[in-house]
Amino acid sequence: MLVLTRKVNQSIVIGDGIEVVVLEVRGEQVRIGIKAPRDVAVHRKEIYEQILEENVSAAGTDVGDVPE
Amino acid sequence: MMISDMIETTRFGAVDFSVEDVVTLNEGLLGFPDQTRFVVIQHKEGSPFSWLQSVESGELAFLVVDQGHYMKDYAPEMPSDIASELEIDEESPRLVYTIVTIPKGQPNEMTLNLAGPILINVANRRAKQVVVEDKRYPIRYKVFSEEKQGQPAA
Repeated sequence: MLVLTRKVNQSIVIGDGIEVVVLEVRGEQVRIGIKAPRDVAVHRKEIYEQILEENVSAAGTDVGDVPE
Repeated sequence: MMISDMIETTRFGAVDFSVEDVVTLNEGLLGFPDQTRFVVIQHKEGSPFSWLQSVESGELAFLVVDQGHYMKDYAPEMPSDIASELEIDEESPRLVYTIVTIPKGQPNEMTLNLAGPILINVANRRAKQVVVEDKRYPIRYKVFSEEKQGQPAA
């Protein structure tokens, strides 16, 4: 993993159209701004992981349990 | 031209399907990136439920329900990048399914994944699971929560 040190208002550019800006650091929380083209999906990682887990649970659904 | 194929499934036995009815999920579902081709099988005649059955793995199927069936006002925003990826414009016929999870033997505990609906372009049969970040739409929306108290044991 590439590790970079940044200060508030400094940013990182990824590829051709993605920019990640550190907006604010308050204790353990960091506010980040992201500029990205419209065709790039940006989400917190937890939501992907939760949906993935839920898909795995959903795949276990039995035909016999489906309501009439 | 109708090209048909068959898959042996764990839930439905042998399923014949027409290749042109196959729904393609380009990136699969989260957690199942290699499963990209599915057919829609209605659960029972008149049922609001359908199954998205993989035509690559016979044991993989997801129970889905039409978006408006349990939540009339469910209208997640579909990001424009996904609409363009699926070639959906304002006139395109589309379907939105929510994936249903039923823990084994506990139909009353059924939940809907409102944060990860499946958007289908009906015209070209391309589909994608959309990540919806909206506090109103949980990953495990309990369908029968209000009725729970008065419900007799199954």
